[in-house]
Amino acid sequence: MLAPAPAVIAADYLSLADAQRAIFPDALRFAAVALQPTAAQLKAIAALAGVQPARGRLAAWRVFGRDGELGFFFTDEVVGRQDFIDYALGINADGSLRAPEIMSYRESHGGEVRNAAWRAQFAHRSNGATLRPAIDIRNIAGATLSCEHLTAGVRYLAALWQLLLRDGAGAPG
Amino acid sequence: MTDFPRKQLISQRCLLVVALGLAVINTSIPVHAATATGLEARVATLESELQELKAQLAQMRASDAAAAKPAASAAAAANPAGAATADGASSALPPGATEARPALTWFGYGELNYTRPSEDPSAARADLGRFVIGTGYRFDERTRLESELEIEHAVSSAGDPGEVAIEQAYIEHELNGAARVRAGLFLIPSGLLNENHEPTRYYGVFRNIVETEIIPSTWREGGVGFQGNTTRGLRWDAGVTTGFNLSKWDPASSAGTQSPLGSIHQELALARAAQPSAYLAANYTGIPGLRLGASVFGGGASQRQPGMPGSRVLLWEGHARWQPGAWDLAALYARGHISGTAALNAALAAQLDDATLVPEDFYGAYLEAAWRGRVGRSWPLIPFARVERFNTGSGYAASGSGTPPPARADQTAYTAGVQLEFAPGVVFKTDYVDVSGGSAGDRFDLGLGYAF
Repeated sequence: MLAPAPAVIAADYLSLADAQRAIFPDALRFAAVALQPTAAQLKAIAALAGVQPARGRLAAWRVFGRDGELGFFFTDEVVGRQDFIDYALGINADGSLRAPEIMSYRESHGGEVRNAAWRAQFAHRSNGATLRPAIDIRNIAGATLSCEHLTAGVRYLAALWQLLLRDGAGAPG
Repeated sequence: MTDFPRKQLISQRCLLVVALGLAVINTSIPVHAATATGLEARVATLESELQELKAQLAQMRASDAAAAKPAASAAAAANPAGAATADGASSALPPGATEARPALTWFGYGELNYTRPSEDPSAARADLGRFVIGTGYRFDERTRLESELEIEHAVSSAGDPGEVAIEQAYIEHELNGAARVRAGLFLIPSGLLNENHEPTRYYGVFRNIVETEIIPSTWREGGVGFQGNTTRGLRWDAGVTTGFNLSKWDPASSAGTQSPLGSIHQELALARAAQPSAYLAANYTGIPGLRLGASVFGGGASQRQPGMPGSRVLLWEGHARWQPGAWDLAALYARGHISGTAALNAALAAQLDDATLVPEDFYGAYLEAAWRGRVGRSWPLIPFARVERFNTGSGYAASGSGTPPPARADQTAYTAGVQLEFAPGVVFKTDYVDVSGGSAGDRFDLGLGYAF
């Protein structure tokens, strides 16, 4: 009687293409990257990224600009308070972060994570895998869980980049 | 993740086959006539195009797979090679990842506490204060249900102190990306705590006094509300709801002196609704770590009941929270006013000697500081302190020719404690509360709270 209904999206803010343009306006091409980590690699990523909320689907693209590789673009899903937040993140070739974009938000409370100033805190950070909520990334009072869980999600992506994609492991071909 | 049209997909596959063929031919023909540089450039160009086509094909395959089986399965499961490859679209799910997004979601929180009054240790109590289960359900891409069912004090029956209550039950509809409307029973956006009342989200075993006695958390009303956000950090709320009912005031009970509005709220239980109330609130969070906000709520409280003098309630507050680094600093001021109480108090005093009278004014304020330390690598250990000043009867209206009843004395409460979040969403708390004016109200508390 309580079987979950098919997934639907409540509030879309950005499409995939919009998010790609917003995070990498200087990109000429996005090449999808298949991520197939081993169990041991997943364990290492989890250990580096620290405590995580419930997570959903994750996808990655290698990004190319006029002068070559720019970095990686990710889409990811983490639970805010009770439902998934879809967001996108860019990691430059040198490992520094680009500010994330919120693609979909589905809850009544906590939507303040769309604030540009809050998201801008991630930009240029080079310690993405060890970001501390409240300390490195200040929370928004009233949206604490969404802030902390998104910060944890970014940590996961940065750890994944560090352990799987850095050093050209994700190069096409 | 991209949805390609079928025809386009077929044509691009043909193109890929041609490109692969060209690549093979290119690598097998003699190269005597061409310069090494020219050939290298051509090979590089073809290689680049080939990689692009391969990536597109992989993306199309992934799209096909996703169409055949929504929510692609955990690719994380098995790749003996272990390295990231680049041949296709991607789906790396960590262990325990949720593949589908259910329309039905569950959440909950609870709090257990032990309190030992300093003045009377025999009055020590242990209690399962709250056990709450909440559900959310998405009906379509814009419409959702939010609900909370609460059991207080463990057992609810004729001979027990507990109660069962619906704290929230509303339908919310997204108007656009920046505004939404809700209808039903929902929390009033007043203060810092009312909308964020889970035990993991406030300091102290019990909720602070001001946001319990002056702002009657958990304060909810039935009605229609609008909410909007801007990407620059401004949130606004406005709505029309049910309000308070002064006929619930019990002159024989001290409940009114503990919380004037808490004793006359209706919680949408056959609520009298002859007089609507309205609220307006604004919160600014445009600077990370800062929250500034204010709200006002007003409406009729006599509900046009026969024999009830006309009366209105007004409650306003302002609040600030600043979280620089490990610090968490908060301040709040709230003031309430009930008009038309003179005639009502005269009637209550005539009914009962020593009747509890309805205050005309009441107020409260607090300052709070907490510091998020850590035990080991990940357990937040948070010492905090709070000072509150409040008065649930700071002014009474003069009744008829008589002088107004004397105001109650202001009270000050000092709370200091520490809490340890030993797992995400689970917190152990302890504190001591010292209330001015002797040892009455002083207490030692222990608590365990959770939220998921």
